[in-house]
Amino acid sequence: MKLAGRVVFIILCSVFANYDAANVNAQYLNPKVVEKKVTIRSATILPAKVEITKESAKGAEMMVAESAEISGKVTEAVGQALQEKKINVVTNPFDPTAMDETRKYTLADIQTRYDALLPKLVNKSKDVKKARFTLGDEVMLLNVHKDADALIFIRGQGRVFTKGKMAFSIVNIFNLDFPYTLITVGIVDARSGEVLAFTKPFSASKVLKDPKALNKMIVKSLKKLPPST
Amino acid sequence: MSDDKFEFGEVDQKLLAQIKLLDERFEKEGAVYHDSTLDAYLTRVGMAIVADKKLENVEWKFRALRDPVPNAFALPNGSIYINTGLLALLDDENQLAAVLAHEVTHVTHRHTYSRNRTIRKTVLAINILNTISNWHPVAGSAGIAIDLIAAISPLMLTLSVLGYSRDQEKEADLEGLKIATSAGFVPDGMPNAFKSMQKDIEGEQLNSFYNDHPRLRERVNYTSNSIAADARKLTDDEAKTARGDYLAVMEAVDRHNVELAINKGRFRSAVFVSQKLVDLHPESSENNFYLAESYRALGPRNAELTAKQMTSGAKKKAAKNRNKRTLEELDAELLATPEGAEAWKSNSEKSEKLFLRSLELNRLNASARRGLGMLYEKLNRKDEAVNQYAAYLELAPNAIDAERIRRRLAVLKESSK
Repeated sequence: MKLAGRVVFIILCSVFANYDAANVNAQYLNPKVVEKKVTIRSATILPAKVEITKESAKGAEMMVAESAEISGKVTEAVGQALQEKKINVVTNPFDPTAMDETRKYTLADIQTRYDALLPKLVNKSKDVKKARFTLGDEVMLLNVHKDADALIFIRGQGRVFTKGKMAFSIVNIFNLDFPYTLITVGIVDARSGEVLAFTKPFSASKVLKDPKALNKMIVKSLKKLPPST
Repeated sequence: MSDDKFEFGEVDQKLLAQIKLLDERFEKEGAVYHDSTLDAYLTRVGMAIVADKKLENVEWKFRALRDPVPNAFALPNGSIYINTGLLALLDDENQLAAVLAHEVTHVTHRHTYSRNRTIRKTVLAINILNTISNWHPVAGSAGIAIDLIAAISPLMLTLSVLGYSRDQEKEADLEGLKIATSAGFVPDGMPNAFKSMQKDIEGEQLNSFYNDHPRLRERVNYTSNSIAADARKLTDDEAKTARGDYLAVMEAVDRHNVELAINKGRFRSAVFVSQKLVDLHPESSENNFYLAESYRALGPRNAELTAKQMTSGAKKKAAKNRNKRTLEELDAELLATPEGAEAWKSNSEKSEKLFLRSLELNRLNASARRGLGMLYEKLNRKDEAVNQYAAYLELAPNAIDAERIRRRLAVLKESSK
């Protein structure tokens, strides 16, 4: 690649490093939501799973404590975004210390069902618009608050680079190896188990350190979801 | 060789800290199966293997993980986990002891630490870890445990799923064989455990350490060859008793594993395990219920894969299809074929017969009523489904799924108008 091309490429990569791409188009709604056959007035957020890795030149390490913290922050951000749409967010009934084994197992099994579906949701998100995906009415086993219309599943992955790794990735710019954050939010009918909405905002990893940027990303990613009337 | 002079470096301490969090996460997220009888049994067998081994930063714990995928692994802090899926495949206590002995050896020989140190030195490792921490679980059929491990520690996923180095695995097999034998278990348990694991019930592409078939054959051979000619063997009667005793201890966890297998779409495994339960106690209403449920869930699939389905090409194609299609879509596709329609006819008839048998053995078995209701609903026999659901709700009005069944009942009644 000629020098001018390389410079342009490096500039584009630097832009991406600060990119905040909660793409409004990366939101997919089930026709029942679009046609207002289903209205979400109340939702329960299941324990989120957002995993952050720290990458150095020697390899990746999990940031377990930070992952737990960011899971909490993302949950809060999603809760707030829903409340701004006048959707009542039911208080988390899944405190691990308060659950008996049966309830823990039920929650684990429903989370597993969602995780098994997730690759398809990520790869074929457009099919949410065809009402293709469901977890089945087994979701009712969670027995969330009887007025809850929807269950919210939050998943996420983030990569944070050390300074050394960042330097390495800039020098080896053509490897296209960058820090990023990807959050997905799945909204599932609390009775039928149908996936009503799915969103997958993608951003540079700065949102992990910046609560305002995180909130903005989440709010933007749920923009298409109709407010509760 | 076992090294109790192992010196912990910073890298090892970091790994240990991650491992501790993995243990906690398993508990917190409902991955550990808790049953006092099973816990006590696993501990008894495990501690017989461990004997008097004391190692720095090791506290021995033996636990079952709620995961229908056959697998077992050891964390370097002494936490040994064996999946309910593997417990269900094994036949007797000697085989269980062999598996635990293998895993204990990984701990006593500090394999995880040395592998970690090696892996961190290679660029390849970084690629492996990145690949594993992708969205897609390994081969699309990963279990609950694997998903959790991948989330916390890609290294542990590499080790637990793909195995340690060949030398380390062979060392764990042979050393494990020695310590299991010293602990009084029959040495045949080890090659027999590998033979049990050779049952490729789901026709999986995933080659985890415990179902890599060419490797399993090799392991059967070298462990069999390591057993002295005059080593103790079980007579046929003793083998039968050993099997019966083991299955009796495993009965509750095997039932739980059937539920997990159905939840995870591993329907053939569900049939296999629940058939074992019925063979153990044919007069058990519960066991007949589980087999009935398994056949209902199996739907338009044959209970055993044909030779054609077991070819490498067919397995790859099936795995690709599972990754692309939802379970409902796979069911509908199969049902549209003559073989699928025939299989569903046969499976639904078996299911109905077994549910009725379950009720014959115990007319108050509420779960059987519910299961029969779901079967009739699937068969579009609406009135019968309504009757069974109503009977279920009468027997278990406050069941955890009562609201779910009430909703189904309401929908059925509405559609019948």
